[in-house]
Amino acid sequence: MYKYTDFDTQFVHARAAQFRDQLERNLRGELSDDDFRPLRLQNGWYVQRHAPMLRVAVPYGELNSTQLRMLARIAREFDRGYGHFTTRQNLQYNWIPLPRAADVMEALASVHMHGIQTSGNCIRNITSDALAGVAADEVVDPRPYCEILRQWSTLHPEFAFLPRKFKIAVTGAREDRAAIGWHDIGLHLLKNDAGEVGFKVLVGGGMGRTPIIGTVIREFLPWNQILVFIEAIVRIYNRYGRRDNMYKARIKILVKAEGQKFIDAVNTEYRNILERDLDGSAHIIPQAEFDRVAQCFTLPAGVAPCAPQPLRDDAPVAVRRWFERNVHAHGIPGYAAVTLSLKRTGQAPGDATDVQMEWAADLADRFSAGELRVTHDQNLLLPWVKQSDLMALFEAARAASFATPNIGLLTDMIACPGGDFCALANARSIPIAEAITERFSDLDELFDIGDIDLHISGCINSCGHHHSGHIGILGVDKDGAEWYQVSLAGSDGSTISGASVPGKVVGPSFAAEEVPDVIEALITTYRGQRSGAERFIDTLHRVGLDLFKSAANGARSATRSPNATATA
Amino acid sequence: MKFIDTRQDPWHTLGGEDGPMPSPNPAPNLLLTLEQWHAVRENWTPGLLAGVKLPNHVDVEVLEPDLPRLGLVALDFPKWIDGRAYSQARLLRARYRFGGQVRAIGEVVVDMLPLLARTGFDAVVMRHGYNQESADLALRIVPTHYQGDVSVRQPLFARTAA
Repeated sequence: MYKYTDFDTQFVHARAAQFRDQLERNLRGELSDDDFRPLRLQNGWYVQRHAPMLRVAVPYGELNSTQLRMLARIAREFDRGYGHFTTRQNLQYNWIPLPRAADVMEALASVHMHGIQTSGNCIRNITSDALAGVAADEVVDPRPYCEILRQWSTLHPEFAFLPRKFKIAVTGAREDRAAIGWHDIGLHLLKNDAGEVGFKVLVGGGMGRTPIIGTVIREFLPWNQILVFIEAIVRIYNRYGRRDNMYKARIKILVKAEGQKFIDAVNTEYRNILERDLDGSAHIIPQAEFDRVAQCFTLPAGVAPCAPQPLRDDAPVAVRRWFERNVHAHGIPGYAAVTLSLKRTGQAPGDATDVQMEWAADLADRFSAGELRVTHDQNLLLPWVKQSDLMALFEAARAASFATPNIGLLTDMIACPGGDFCALANARSIPIAEAITERFSDLDELFDIGDIDLHISGCINSCGHHHSGHIGILGVDKDGAEWYQVSLAGSDGSTISGASVPGKVVGPSFAAEEVPDVIEALITTYRGQRSGAERFIDTLHRVGLDLFKSAANGARSATRSPNATATA
Repeated sequence: MKFIDTRQDPWHTLGGEDGPMPSPNPAPNLLLTLEQWHAVRENWTPGLLAGVKLPNHVDVEVLEPDLPRLGLVALDFPKWIDGRAYSQARLLRARYRFGGQVRAIGEVVVDMLPLLARTGFDAVVMRHGYNQESADLALRIVPTHYQGDVSVRQPLFARTAA
């Protein structure tokens, strides 16, 4: 993991002090609520349905056990005893009173954490592959680049008030587990024929009202140029992105509207920085700086290749299932990465209590060199597990409620907090997730259904990534009631799912109570149509959507009569 | 950072009952609209420095050939959360080497000050009713940064490596 320098430590404390000053000015009436709003947002503080929400940054998803214990303590002492892990690898609290905000930021700073730029119209927390640095299919470890980007983007003075939020995702593996096509900037680290490291750069992807997949703007940018090139992109966006309509303000709209002109403008700006600006090459990353950061990401103490320990032939079925779904291939012989599932009945997807966070921290200390990752699909992951420890970890994870063997299966769904918490949501996500989880509680059935991405968003802001789900569910509001639009065949860009693409809506929205029936009808259709071991998404592609659409529409009960049909 | 008290500021605009005077006569310390400047630039007195107010949706490049003749460029924040003028200022300084005053006008609030100072602004007309103590604190509370900017051009990694 990245190790904070004295500078990094002083910096987060200075930022916490700055926030305290802003909060105090707000509380004593010197700083109006309107003026305070953008400032608290840029420190992760929203005002939500019940209380402020705090979004804590987990840079590129890396956490250590000390940090997780602090997150647990904050949940216990300042919140109501739980937190929610998000698709952007962050953690959210829902119940902290704003006057205590500065104390929470100070507590976070003590373990090198913060909420800097987790909200607001700025460059947000950078996300990456949860298997970064350990993936068996990794070409380049993205973590040092993520850290350099994190530092560069932190409190960037020119880019703090962009037209809209700006999200960057980085991957360095063959498989894209970071959904880079769906980001404002997507970076794919690769090596050219000469073995040199560079980035394939995508720009202008995003979800929301207008789902668009990013455009490739560079096939291969030498790694040390990345800060300059991103500066060029963000400057063009800051200057020319739309500010008249917040729904058209993301960079994707500019890229789409301008096309090649946008690409030309970025390339010209990039050249201008290097050729015309005072010290324009100051942000070309020197090898020494890369090496300084990269040496934080070497193998943890005690981790070294060792003899592989395959699963015993006589292992019980519960263990086999866990191995099949929750244990992942690793780049170091004799090691594995293990997902701790945060998807189980009785808790919202991605939620963890203070006690569960402490259990996870204990598991990390015992089995994973004290390190964890937050995954894009809202689970925790232990990156450094010896294969010889897997049986012991299985038992411990099971005792701690983390061993549901459902990673990649239907109940491993992505869901935003929805209308239960979020002030933006049109509909609730959690009861829908719960109803589906209950309907599909049979493990044999889940395993038979196999790999499938189910994504649920409570509104068009798409925090639950419904556009990229094989099955997507979107909460919509119609006449004050909650309705759900179902879409099919979306892709996050992973190998299983195919090229990134938004799903297609099956028809008019469904009533909440119909949604589990719709999902069941879709699954039944798949099981009837699949050929051999074909996955859900492949059957969809082969058979076409019509059969699935009519199955979904056949599951209408409340919305069957034409009068009751929502058109949202 | 220079906090401008408009009552004592030598720079002044030329208004008129029907809006800004279309083509004012050259005089010292005139702060002109872009339209006024374009109307008079051909006949402006050599050596006399003018000031120009540039809207934030106009490319700073329109002023590039004129910069040696300007003593002040005032950049506008119609809303304080509209960050276009930061890029304008940064370009004026780092790319076009403008050495005169770069002034923030419009809705300029205390918490913008660190950003203004780092993108090349050296003067501000604050929104009415600001607190000077809070402004001074805002300017120093986060003393150093990772990335280079207009005032400290090298990023942290270059500064600490030296």
